[in-house]
This record gives sequence, structure tokens and C-alpha cells, in this order.
Amino acid sequence: MSGQSEFDQITRAASGDRAAQAALVNRNMPIVFRVAFRMLQDRAEAEDVTQETFLRAWKALPDWQPKAKFSTWACTVALNLCRDRLRKKKPVLMDELPERVDTAQRPEEALSSQQALQGIEAKLAALPERQREALSLCALEGMTNIEAAAAMDVSVRALESLLARARRTLRAELAGERG
Amino acid sequence: MTTDSVTIDRVLELIAAYGAEPGGWPEDERSSAISVLNAHPDRFAEALDDARALDALLDSEDMPEPSPMLIESILAGAPTAPPPRRSLFGGLSDLIFPQGARWPAGAALASLTMGLLGGYAYASTGVGYDQADAAYYAAFGIDSGTDWLSAE
Repeated sequence: MSGQSEFDQITRAASGDRAAQAALVNRNMPIVFRVAFRMLQDRAEAEDVTQETFLRAWKALPDWQPKAKFSTWACTVALNLCRDRLRKKKPVLMDELPERVDTAQRPEEALSSQQALQGIEAKLAALPERQREALSLCALEGMTNIEAAAAMDVSVRALESLLARARRTLRAELAGERG
Repeated sequence: MTTDSVTIDRVLELIAAYGAEPGGWPEDERSSAISVLNAHPDRFAEALDDARALDALLDSEDMPEPSPMLIESILAGAPTAPPPRRSLFGGLSDLIFPQGARWPAGAALASLTMGLLGGYAYASTGVGYDQADAAYYAAFGIDSGTDWLSAE
């Protein structure tokens, strides 16, 4: 979609045109969800982030400037929301351990989660956050280096370094599995 | 824009960062890098094999589908179209009939209002009941001031 036609669509969506809004969501929701899922490894949380991203989009649309593609803007917002959530999840040292809640999974659920974490998803999840973001946007979502760098708010050079390190780690793991 | 000074080392860097598929390489370096790649195929064979293996692994990523309700939830928060602009008459009608203009009730209310206003205007002119009656009685030679009951 050309920049001008996307801008037209955004303008119509901002003025309440339901068809334009639906088209904008249908085209951009999947990428936002996938990027969020790779970061959070949780479907429900990824959906929350996707919904929050679009809520912010609806507020931003009336003042939209066609400087960046909508998908790049949406991924920037989604990544920031994911970083906030990941920051809150980081373990906090406590004097007293909280009472444990029984979170035991049913056998089929446990098997399913284990299987889900055996493929490339597990290897991606183990990457440092910024490397995961770079690989997600460039290698898996097909963004250009300029778009991905803009979405991550880093230089193209820094993006390239993150990508190279991420791929080196994954290659080493792949070689380890083969050996 | 193209960069003509792409070296063998730079192509190796591109493969290491962006993978084996030249379509994923930076646009401004792509064509020059492909030329270098084609000129020295043996030099890049190992790097390309490693990168292809990783690209295939990345392509095998299993991704869950979002809930079908997600789109509806997102659209529920979308802005709605502003109400259409009303004419002056429409605005006045809204003011007089906040519940919406209903013609039979509206006409009855308008008639009542006009009747009351007309009656009030008539009464305030000073040509009231007494003067009109006096003129009438005088025409027939009757003294309107006579108290008929007490005269008996």
C-alpha cells in the first residue's frame, strides 16, 4: 500500500469510517500481535498489548502525520508496551515469599506448552530482549532495516549489530544440536 | 541509491545480519552486494549455507492465532463518525422539543400557546369586557350601570 493511500485510509478511519478502520486493523493487527507474542510468549498478554496499541492508535489518528508507515508506528508502540510488561515481570527480591498459588497444569496443557517451547520459539525466547526485537521485525516480519531501526528507535548500524549477534547465537545453538 | 563500494567483507556482514536471501538486505547495497556475491561464489558458500539453515529454522516458527474476538474488541474502541450538522430549524426544533418533534402533540402545544398569547394580548389592550358591554347596552337604551335587582 502506498504512503498516500495509507494516509487516506487513516484520515477516513479517524473520521469514523468503519470500513477504513476495519481495513487498517485487518492489515496491521496480525503483525502487532506476532511481535507482541514473540516478546511476551503469552497469547492473552499479546492480545492485550495489541488492543492497547490500537486504542492508542485511535487517539493518535486525528493528528496523524505521514512520516512513518502505520505498521512501523504500531510496532514501536507495541514494543514499548511489551518492554513495560517485561520490566514489571522481572523478579523482585522479597523478605517473605508470597503464598504459593496452585498453578499446576493439566497433563495435556503441560505437554502442549512443552512442545510449544521446543522449536524456534524457545530459542527466540532465550535471546536478549533487543536482539529478539530486531530479529522479529527484520527476519520474521520482513521490515526493511530502516523501518525496523525506526520502530526500535536505534540506528541502522545498531540494528545490524543486534541482528548479527542474534543470528550468531541461534547458529551456535543449531550447531550444538547437530553436534 | 546504490553503494558501489561493497566489499567481500561487507557482503559477509550482510549475510551474517540479514540472512542468505538478498531480498532482505538493505536496498541501497543490494545490487552491488549481489554483483560481489556472483563474482566470488566460493568465498560465500559456507556463510550462505549457515544462513540458509537458520532462515529455514526461522521460517518454521509456530505462531498461535489471536482470538477471533480481538478484531471486534479493537473496533469497539474506534472513533465514531460525528453526528451530521443540523439546520437552524433543526436546532430550534431540538430546543423546543428535546424529546423530538412529534407533529400532533407539537401542533396542539403550539395552538395552546398561541391561544394563551392571543388572549393575553387582547386583554392587555384595554378594550375589555366592560367597555364593550356598555356600548352594547347604550345602543339599546339600557343603562348598563343600573342594578336591576336592587331597583326592584
